[in-house]
Amino acid sequence: MDMAIHSREQAPKAAPPQRGYAIGGPILELDSVSLRFGGVKALTDISFDVLEHEVRAIIGPNGAGKSSMLNVINGVYRPQEGSITFRGQKLADMTPNRAARLGISRTFQNIALFKGMTVLDNIMAGCSLREKATFLEVALQLPRARREENANREKVEEIIEFLQIEHIRKTPVKRLPYGLQKRVELGRALATEPKILLLDEPMAGMNIEEKQDMCRFILDVNDHYGTTVVLIEHDMGVVMDLSDRVVVLDYGRKIGDGTPDEVRSNPAVIKAYLGVAD
Amino acid sequence: MFYREAGQYSTSYAQDRQLLTLRQDRLGMVVMLAVGFVGIPLVASDYWLSAILIPWLVLALVALGQNILMGYAGQLSLGSAGFMAAGAFACYNLILRVPGIPFLVAVLLSGLIAAVIGILFGLPSLRIRGLYLAVATLASQFFIVWALDKFGWFKNYDTSGIITAQDIVIFGHTFASPAEKYLVVLVIVASLTLLAANMARGSIGRGWMAVRDMDVAAEAMGLSLLRTKLQAFAISSFYCGVGGALFIFAYLQTAEPAAFSIELSFRILFMVIIGGLGTIMGPFLGAGFILLLPIFLNIFFHAVFGRAVDATITSALEQVIFGVLIIMFLIYEPLGLARLWQITKERLRLWPFKY
Amino acid sequence: MSFFFEVLVGGLLSGIMYSLVALGFVLIYKASSVFNFAQGAMVFFAVLSFVGFMELGLNFWAALPVTVALMVGVGVLTERFVLRPLVNQSEDTLLMATIGLAFVIEGVAQLAWGVEVRRLDLGIPDEPMGWLADKTDILVSQLDIAAGLVAGIMVAVLALVFSKTKVGRGLRAVADDNAAALSIGIPLKQIWVLVWATAGVVALVAGMLWGARSGVQFALVGVALKALPVLIIGGFTSVPGVIVAGLIVGAAEKLAEVYVGPFVGGGIEGWLPYMLAVLFLLVRPEGLFGEKIIRRV
Repeated sequence: MDMAIHSREQAPKAAPPQRGYAIGGPILELDSVSLRFGGVKALTDISFDVLEHEVRAIIGPNGAGKSSMLNVINGVYRPQEGSITFRGQKLADMTPNRAARLGISRTFQNIALFKGMTVLDNIMAGCSLREKATFLEVALQLPRARREENANREKVEEIIEFLQIEHIRKTPVKRLPYGLQKRVELGRALATEPKILLLDEPMAGMNIEEKQDMCRFILDVNDHYGTTVVLIEHDMGVVMDLSDRVVVLDYGRKIGDGTPDEVRSNPAVIKAYLGVAD
Repeated sequence: MFYREAGQYSTSYAQDRQLLTLRQDRLGMVVMLAVGFVGIPLVASDYWLSAILIPWLVLALVALGQNILMGYAGQLSLGSAGFMAAGAFACYNLILRVPGIPFLVAVLLSGLIAAVIGILFGLPSLRIRGLYLAVATLASQFFIVWALDKFGWFKNYDTSGIITAQDIVIFGHTFASPAEKYLVVLVIVASLTLLAANMARGSIGRGWMAVRDMDVAAEAMGLSLLRTKLQAFAISSFYCGVGGALFIFAYLQTAEPAAFSIELSFRILFMVIIGGLGTIMGPFLGAGFILLLPIFLNIFFHAVFGRAVDATITSALEQVIFGVLIIMFLIYEPLGLARLWQITKERLRLWPFKY
Repeated sequence: MSFFFEVLVGGLLSGIMYSLVALGFVLIYKASSVFNFAQGAMVFFAVLSFVGFMELGLNFWAALPVTVALMVGVGVLTERFVLRPLVNQSEDTLLMATIGLAFVIEGVAQLAWGVEVRRLDLGIPDEPMGWLADKTDILVSQLDIAAGLVAGIMVAVLALVFSKTKVGRGLRAVADDNAAALSIGIPLKQIWVLVWATAGVVALVAGMLWGARSGVQFALVGVALKALPVLIIGGFTSVPGVIVAGLIVGAAEKLAEVYVGPFVGGGIEGWLPYMLAVLFLLVRPEGLFGEKIIRRV
């Protein structure tokens, strides 16, 4: 399979960029979702959809409810109102566990890697969904356990190669610099072979080079594996270049929804970020 | 000179996964097994076998179980002695009441009984962690020992409250001498250790460590916290139960429930921490250390003061030393003696160079 | 019926004593977010040293401040050598470190003062209170009542200090966030010394009361272990919670022992408090008065 690795900055603005997978129908739909913590309204009446194989960005000022949005999608929080439909299936009582099994995978804002393990083990941990061998089979190293372990190792090595982290695969993650840790976290989420990938500020705290690398990886994931990507991001340049469509949140409400260009010129969005001169 | 691995690379994933990837390590293991299975029974004195080696193996097994729960799965537990007691009395009662039951089957069943009890008392771990969980495990510790003591049935209504372990009979042969008992214990402990090592390095161990390090992320990877935690409790209690059975059948011979006190639980805890949390070798090093320290202290006092020192002073001194070591290891090297050993090996590999 | 009240009151009073020990835990936890498993050992060390100093010739009123100073010293050493090096570690690591600390303190106590059981005479006889017995037929030990009063007063005073005074607020700020507290000018070191001194005094008083009742011996440490269920039921951060929980635990274990005990051969008080704690944990993990723990992702 030909991996189309390119930077969208170089593509002429007029022609649509080449994709490995054409954008399809809605894979995720949120309908009037509201989330409250006691008296605090984190999300109010949010509705939007995510199309299959697209890259959807969620942006908004701090405290707008972006992380809560992801947490609702993957079942960490349960919304008081509204519904979430994933691949045509209405989801009630979502838990992170169930989400993973349905094909929703994510990274976390503050890096939730398993600090006591190596890079390899962290990413292998992402394969647990596919591990059917019981503890007894693993203990006795029966054939099914060995087969699964080797097969998972092969898949994980593909991811490691893809993310160019071969040289640190046996390093304990707590010794890695921030940027590499984020990359490992991406790898771990990829190991679950998700249909949709939720990335919570994947480039926070990175320098320009690291950001470029991360952009490239995210695009490659989308191109090569066809994974739908939903990402929260602050860097406007990144958002404009990476995403197909953007959702803008402010104080828990949706104030913009459309292509990057549409959103950029939306007065409500401008007001939310820059304020209005009175 | 001492330790080279030049030219030995894994060429397949299966090879990379082996427990002992270096030829030298494999050789070392063969030597160790030869010494353990053949050399020691031939050479060691009865005292060494009965008073040092057997309890070392047995306590290391229990510490291994405790390490699975605390070191790998991150569930703080202070109840290991309680599960030992459950296993010990289960084994005693099985052999007593089920005519002709093979010893090894009885030991296996005792472990399973302990495992079931472990799951029961491990249920709180689904809602609580840390200190709260530790207190819940204290409940299991005190309750189990109390129940075994109060309900005479467990002790076969013996008026003295003490049970005497029956002989170890396997395939018709009575394993009575210290060397024979040692071999039985060694076989059981070595096999269970191998199983634990396989689990720890495989998907099971990764699941435990994931839950230990960041349970929210573990769930997001599709791991079931319920299954992982209860499995850890079950397996850990199994090991403690088997250890408990061996404790009285191969070591103490006679025991009362009070022998499995909270003090024993604390000793196991020390072995785990000092030996190294989250390692397979750690429990063995920790158990060895705790068993040998009193002997060293005695020798030390003999050498310095020319006479034996009052037992209360040595035991108080032991306590202080254990406590200080725990604190120091937690500060400087949470992976304990096991990591120190690893570092020493690495230094030896490079010696006389520094790095 | 009067027997029931006897048992109940006896249980409540011993419960207050558990509260007193638990109070030491709460103080340290409120100030440094560390659960000090060694508190029980400190109770033991405090009263043992107190009695030891008296044996060395100091009288009652001289030995008191000396022992308090000693406890403050222990606290300072603990903070310097155990807590500070582990400042960013997980709760579990800190807990294990304080378990190690407990053993160090117990060992040192025995090395310094020996292992014989000591008697401690506080001048209050362990006999039924006369007029109460005459009026109502209820026999309650004077010592128990005195202990209850002292404990109750200490707890009440501490509760007030925490919630109403500047020092109390400073303490709570420190427990919440050390760096933030420092940045608004709260004198961290002084607060800590104050906390450990208070905890030391509490430990000493608790030790003295328990010691007067059952002799100053190693078993005291086991009593302190009972304070753990009290902490859990009451909620780690709540001083009033500790009182209520202590009363509940004390009453429950005595009543169970007396009324259910005979059917099962006794010894229920050894594990009942822990089972109660487990039940509470399953239903209300933060305890009666504790703060709900919210973990943000």
